[in-house]
Amino acid sequence: MSTVSQMALLFIGAALVNNILLTRFIGLCPFFGVSGNMETSLGMSLAVVFVMTMASSATWVVWQYVLEPLGVGEFLYIPAFILIIASLVQFVEMYLRKASPVLYRAMGIYLPLITTNCAVLAAATESAKPGFFKLNIALGSSLSLGEALVYTLGVSVGFGFALVTFAALRERLELAPVSRLFKGTPIAFITASLLSLAYIGFSGWFGL
Amino acid sequence: MKEWYAAFRQGLSIENPLTVLMIGLCATLAVSTQVQNAVFMGFAVVFVLTMSNVIVSAFRRQIPTEVRIPIFIVVIASFVTIVDLSMNAFVPGIYQVLGIWIPLIVVNCVILGRAEAFAYHNRVSLSIADGLGMGIGYWSVIVLLAALRELFGTGRIVWFDTALVQLPSGYQPPGLLLLFPGAFLVFGFMIAGSRWANEKLEARKEARACRP
Repeated sequence: MSTVSQMALLFIGAALVNNILLTRFIGLCPFFGVSGNMETSLGMSLAVVFVMTMASSATWVVWQYVLEPLGVGEFLYIPAFILIIASLVQFVEMYLRKASPVLYRAMGIYLPLITTNCAVLAAATESAKPGFFKLNIALGSSLSLGEALVYTLGVSVGFGFALVTFAALRERLELAPVSRLFKGTPIAFITASLLSLAYIGFSGWFGL
Repeated sequence: MKEWYAAFRQGLSIENPLTVLMIGLCATLAVSTQVQNAVFMGFAVVFVLTMSNVIVSAFRRQIPTEVRIPIFIVVIASFVTIVDLSMNAFVPGIYQVLGIWIPLIVVNCVILGRAEAFAYHNRVSLSIADGLGMGIGYWSVIVLLAALRELFGTGRIVWFDTALVQLPSGYQPPGLLLLFPGAFLVFGFMIAGSRWANEKLEARKEARACRP
């Protein structure tokens, strides 16, 4: 995979066809937790794009140059990756607070939450050792750093897109007449079910 | 003993991690297509939750507040690695299906949440009770969800190649329930159902309290 069209395919495959939230069920906590209003879900999406891309380039490098050559990847990858993500997030948070207060205000409070977001761990693991999470069938047995970046960007943009769409739906839902027992979370789940049904429609694209 | 029982009970009803607190949903929805998978996933969570609670609670005076989160995560990650490797060795068939979800137990908010909210402030015996209670609360919801989806999605419940329950042959199973949207749908109805049950319980409690 090197040409532009293949990169585009990788991106769309990760963002829509294999959408991490609605077709893979990864990262659902923020999907229900922060989708109550539009603004917070935009901030969260921004933070996820940012952290996920950085985290998976870091895990890619560590896997390729440390864990794999030493032969300890098989049993050490979980603690290693989660530590990388946790410390990276902490670091990014400190840096942003100092360097860019505007950006920090937009996504600052979501950063610590992202440490325990399984979407980040899944995408980072997938780009370091592809095929493990079966997130994208089109992935080869190993990715170059560039492909890993495009792939994670696709995953995180897909995450943001689904989250923002869902937040918009939930804002409308607030006004809808819903039976007393179903008000709030239950109807949100049923809406998510319909949204996920729509995403299954993407799976016909390019036979991915 | 009474305290122990109270901590244990909490996870089962009023603080059930899934239906009340809505945390740790991802794995629940994904693996609940078959009762068999759900049972093992639930056990993995119970084990990791209880063991990490024990360790965190035993070392709670030594763990400095500033770096507690990374320490919790390392403790949890070690137990998850134990589960990951042993399931791969002893139940390879199940591991094939659950494989991707076992490593993700690390970032399951239920476990980190209990380490932070309970085990870090309580003594070991109570933390065991809390871990077991929360774990069993999680286990029962995930198994119930899987049972509903498998029963109505395929028409029967299978446990290691033998059918435990079989619906009459005239039943046409809607395959939708086994797909991703089905999980959301069934879970939405389950939450509504648990609300209904809670309301009934409250009403009964009030009625009893009013009686002279």
